[in-house]
Formats: sequence, structure tokens, C-alpha cells
Amino acid sequence: MKCFSRYLPYIFRPPNTILSSSCHTEADIISTVEFNHTGELLATGDKGGRVVIFQREQEVLVEEQTPDVVLGSILRVLKFSLPSLQSKNQVHRRGEYNVYSTFQSHEPEFDYLKSLEIEEKINKIRWLPQQNAAYFLLSTNDKTVKLWKVSERDKRPEGYNLKDEEGRLRDPATITTLRVPVLRPMDLMVEATPRRVFANAHTYHINSISVNSDYETYMSADDLRINLWNFEITNQSFNIVDIKPANMEELTEVITAAEFHPHHCNTFVYSSSKGTIRLCDMRASALCDRHTKFFEEPEDPSNRSFFSEIISSISDVKFSHSGRYIMTRDYLTVKVWDLNMENRPIETYQVHDYLRSKLCSLYENDCIFDKFECVWNGSDSVIMTGSYNNFFRMFDRNTKRDVTLEASRENSKPRAILKPRKVCVGGKRRKDEISVDSLDFSKKILHTAWHPSENIIAVAATNNLYIFQDKVN
Amino acid sequence: MEFKLEAHRIVSISLGKIYNSRVQRGGIKLHKNLLVSLVLRSARQVYLSDPCPGLYLAGPTGIPTVPPPQQPGEPVAGPPSGWGEPPPPSARAALPEPEPQPQRPSVCHTPGAGSSEPVAAVAGAGDALRGGEADSAAAAWGRVERPRAVASGGGSDTCPEGPRAVRRPCGCPPAREEQPAEDGSPAPPAPCPRKRGAAGVGGGRAGCPAAPGSTPLKKPRRNSEEQPSTGEEDTDEEMETGNVANLISIFGSSFSGLLRKSPAVGREGEEAEESGPEAAEPGQICCDKPVLRDMSPWSTAIVAF
Repeated sequence: MKCFSRYLPYIFRPPNTILSSSCHTEADIISTVEFNHTGELLATGDKGGRVVIFQREQEVLVEEQTPDVVLGSILRVLKFSLPSLQSKNQVHRRGEYNVYSTFQSHEPEFDYLKSLEIEEKINKIRWLPQQNAAYFLLSTNDKTVKLWKVSERDKRPEGYNLKDEEGRLRDPATITTLRVPVLRPMDLMVEATPRRVFANAHTYHINSISVNSDYETYMSADDLRINLWNFEITNQSFNIVDIKPANMEELTEVITAAEFHPHHCNTFVYSSSKGTIRLCDMRASALCDRHTKFFEEPEDPSNRSFFSEIISSISDVKFSHSGRYIMTRDYLTVKVWDLNMENRPIETYQVHDYLRSKLCSLYENDCIFDKFECVWNGSDSVIMTGSYNNFFRMFDRNTKRDVTLEASRENSKPRAILKPRKVCVGGKRRKDEISVDSLDFSKKILHTAWHPSENIIAVAATNNLYIFQDKVN
Repeated sequence: MEFKLEAHRIVSISLGKIYNSRVQRGGIKLHKNLLVSLVLRSARQVYLSDPCPGLYLAGPTGIPTVPPPQQPGEPVAGPPSGWGEPPPPSARAALPEPEPQPQRPSVCHTPGAGSSEPVAAVAGAGDALRGGEADSAAAAWGRVERPRAVASGGGSDTCPEGPRAVRRPCGCPPAREEQPAEDGSPAPPAPCPRKRGAAGVGGGRAGCPAAPGSTPLKKPRRNSEEQPSTGEEDTDEEMETGNVANLISIFGSSFSGLLRKSPAVGREGEEAEESGPEAAEPGQICCDKPVLRDMSPWSTAIVAF
């Protein structure tokens, strides 16, 4: 793994709000981040129902006057290989991400029958693979999934007969000659149109959507049910998982996340609030209530507390790109499971174990219910997840090294290299360390994304989006 | 002992969260409420298992601290510090099976006051309730032999005013849910809006009319706020035991009140929720405690959730 430097930091601010680091409107809080399949586009959704898409600039080769700083100490600590430069004064410059399109995906709604407001917060965005010039993505709030088409327009027809150049209708009686309209170039315009709306299929709150590898279907999962949709059909969906008990008094677990296998279009997994993962095969039966594989790690009885159930609830599940492993995130750990071994994970990484003694306070301030996500890098060798105080953690699966980095404005100078952070759990606090009690629990990184092939990461810190690139040609 | 206090505190916090979830934007979140109910269940087990029966029968060791609940910003004189962490698991495992608490049936017994409440009472008849509350509150007070520590710390929240207060549609969120532990004491659970001010949230009580019926009854028992916390905690213990146990037995043994229907159900669901626990045999819902009549006011409390 290469050293992670901040090559071109990009701090995203919604254009219509005045922001400082401490005050922001709730609607601007980023609620999901997702790269598309090539990494050219990066989509973010926020609590106000908006989607902002960034597009990467084309890469250029530039002459550099001074060599970039290489932070040798970090490389020594992490034993990562040095990035190589073509020459001292010539650097292959990576493209920046610039705003490409912004649109309002969901609006607040009111369910009159149940007297409930439906939040417009975007829970998840998933891209479809590109099949033509337009881009397609799915975005969902608690109840409704929408398919959006994002397309560019850079030409427009001119020379109409019945309309003049301003668009006003011409009196047909005044037309003496006919002409053929021609396409002339115009300023690039990116427009987003909702192509499908998949509504009224979920009684509970949608927590996940996942596009199938057949590119024809996708699934949406709420707390108790998972539905399978065809992109073309909006008024029907198949229910493939239903864990609602006949008597709700017997409810013991809910679905927390679900994902299709990246290659096998018949396989998907879903995680539960009890810390278990079920893998289902849709070929087995129409209703996949009976799992094909069941992944659960026995609980460590020495760690039992009031909050054991809460911290074992899985907040995110992700297949590796290879499809061989799944990664799950619960409150304190990230676990990697081999699909062929159900009784325990093959790797467990402690994200912020120092919080284990603070669970009661975290329960009081609701932080214990935070749903952190986790991501794989393109080669499945590094996994990343967020924490508090705007920290995020990366774990190298091969070298077993890990690093804690911080997404903050102070580090936001161009060409700055991210310095690893350390949390002091007790005893003497060193100069650069931060003690557990001074962590800011309101600054949490729940959503991160990793470019599918390169070392570019997007980290959402409340209402700011940080994009870090690796310093390598 | 600390485990019991810790458990009680956690119960209070959990009830506050459940109550708050009702007014949250976007509807009740099933997952979060399920987790809260699991915590409630664990806390209840610890609470009922903690072998400290001697405390219940002892008289008040100190002057009970009864800060007037109507005053905003009243300081919370809660149980002593040591709330920080949950009890070590070995302690919980070692606790004996819960024994029926002898004083429980006598404490804050509300004979049928709750059960006769119609469903509609939850929705609106706050004023009508208060009259009934006063009577049964008086009866309950008479039955209680020890002076009640109507501490904002949450002890007395579980007394008869509690459930009846909940049935008042005051609609104020406890608002203490968001207040971290630096108060140093547990905030009152949601069912008792009058005491919610203990957490210092005046705004939370803005919409909460006091229960006039019960207020005069409580005044004589209230002392100044600066009471030794130890005394208050003891009286908290004896006052709250019965009803907290009832309440958490209701929540702990089943999730029925919250999930009778889908979480997105409004009025309709609330009515169903209420009828559910009430309709079910009390013996079925509670494990081994004689909580028959005590169930009703609490099941109505659940309706509010």
C-alpha cells in the first residue's frame, strides 16, 4: 500500500449555505458517498435529499518546480513502499474532482394514512454500470427508490421554422422559406431526470439497495423485508426475504444491510442486528427465508454488558471485489469473513476499542447507535472505516498494519501529507496523541468510499467531503 | 447495589429514548427501538436480580429529597456517582434468581385506575384524567407508608403519578435523552413529564401542564433540594422498585407495545398497542411477579410510545 498523502484536498460545501466548521444546517449533512464503477464519478447524498455528483478531471502531465515532500517517517512506520517519480521535476498530476451535477432527488413527504413524515434523507446511492453515454444511479430514502439518469447535453438544435431564436412562435403566414434545423455546440449542460420511481413497497425504513450483477435487477432491504426489483418495472417487486414474525412481540432481530454478490447474480447476503450474516441463494426458492450459509461468531462471555447486543449489531456488510470475502462492521470492530467458513471471521480489527469502557455514556448520547460503513480498496488488500473525532482507520490485511487519519481543515493544505493520529487510552499522553476523553463525538465519519482501482478515497465528515489521493504517478 | 442503581438509570434512559422516538421525524425507527428494548431487558434482569432486599424495607435513612417538579431547571440530586459503567458480567451472572419483592404490591398500587382508562384518554383527555389521577393518587399515597422521595433523580417517577402523567397528552419529550451523564444523575423517565424538568430542560416542559391533582399531594413531602444523596437514593430505591420492575417487565418480556403494528402506524397503532398488553393475560406477560393490576396503568403508558 502506498503512503496516503493529501495531494489535492477538496472540501465540499453545498453552494447555498454559509458554513463554518462548527455550524451548518442539518440538511447539508452527507449521508452517503459512492464512486461509480470506473471511479470517474463520485456521488454524495445528504439529509436534505440532494445528490451532488463530482466528476474527475482528465489527468495531465505537468512540470513541477519543486519536488514534492515525501514523509519518510510515515513510510518507515508503515513500511509502505515509496512512490516513485518519473523525474524530480515532472509529475503526473491526478485529476481533481469537480462538481458535475446537483439535483434534488427526494423531497419530504407525508404519509397521511399513518400520520408520519417521511424523511428525504438519502440513505444510499448505488451506481449502475455505464452502458451508454448517460449515467444511471439509484438513490433511496426511507421509503422510495428512484432511478436517475444523468446525461450531458452539449449541442442544441437551431434554425427552427416555427420558432424564432428566442423560442417565440412565429406566425406561419410570415414564413416564406424553410430551413433544416442544425445542431450547434452549446455550453455543456448536465441534466438529471428521474426515470423510474419504485415506491410503496416498504413498510419499514429502507436501509440498503444493491444492484445485481445481471444489471437487470436490484434489491432494496428494509428492517424486515428484502424486495427484488426489475429496473423496468416499478409497480411490482418480489419479496425475497421476510423475517417479520407472525407475532411482533417475538421480534428479536432486524435486517441491517444487504448486498448482492459481485459476480453471482443469484447470491446475496444480509446482516442482522444480532451480529449474524446470512447468505442466500435465490435459486433455492422464491422466498429466501432459509439461508444457505449462516455466519456467526460466538460471543465472548467476558465482554458481556448491558450493551452487548447493541455493539454486536452489524451496521454494514460489503463483499470484497473478488467475491470471496465479506466484511462486516459492528460498533467497535471490523471483521472479514471467508465465505467458506461460517463459524468465525478470518480477521477481526479493532477500530476504537477504547470506547468499550464508555458504552454507557455513548448509549446516553445515542452515539452507540451510529452506523459506520466500511469499504474495501480495489485490490481487497486494505479496508477502511470511520470513527469519531473525524478519524478514519485503514487496515492493511497483508501487513496487518493500521493507521488512523484525520479529516480536518487544519490538514487541508494542498500537498499536505496526512499525519497518522493516535488515541491515548491511558497513562501518559504523548505530545501528538489525543486522549479518549477529548474526542469529539459529534464529529463522526460514517460514510467513506474508495475508488475502484486507484488509491483515492472520499471521506464524508458531517457536511464536508474530503477527497484524498495517493501521491504516486 | 450499584448494579441496581446503574440498571435503574439505564432503564430510565431507555424509556426516555423510547418515548422520544415517538416524536422523532420520520417515524419510529424499528431497529433502534429494538436495541433499546434489549438494553431495557438486560437492565431489568440485573435490576430484579440484585440481592439487596434489605434496603427496601428500611425506613428513610435520610430526609427524602423532593424537589418540586414544576420548577424548571431543578437540580437533579440523583444516586451517587458510580453510574459510569455497567456491572461486571460476573456480578450479573452470580446474582440469584429474582425474588418477589415483598413490598412491591403495596407500593404505588393503583387499583384499576389505569385499566379503566379508555384508549381515547391517551389521545386527549388530559383534563379528565387529572381528576381521576388525584383520587387514585391519593389512594396510592395513603398506601405508601414511607415518605416518597419525589426526586427528580427519577425515583418517584415510577409512582402512580408516573403512568397517569404519561396518559396526559402533554407531548413533551423528556428531552433529557440528549443530556449526557455529566448531570451526574439519572434523568426521570419519560412517563413522568412533571419531573422532566429535573434535567434542567425548561423547554421540554413547556407543553406539560402539571397534574394538579397530584401536586398538592406531593408538596408536603417535598423538601429542599439539597438533600443528602444517600438518603434520597435509599428512598428512591424503595419507592421505585415496584413500578420500575413492573414497567421493565412489560417492556422486557415483550416488545408488544411498540411493535404491535408496523412502526409507522399512528393513532391506529397506538390503540392496538394499548389493547394488546391489556388484553393479554397479565400472567403471560410478566414472568413471576404479581403485577396484575399494576400492569394496566403501565400498559397505557406504553401506548404513548
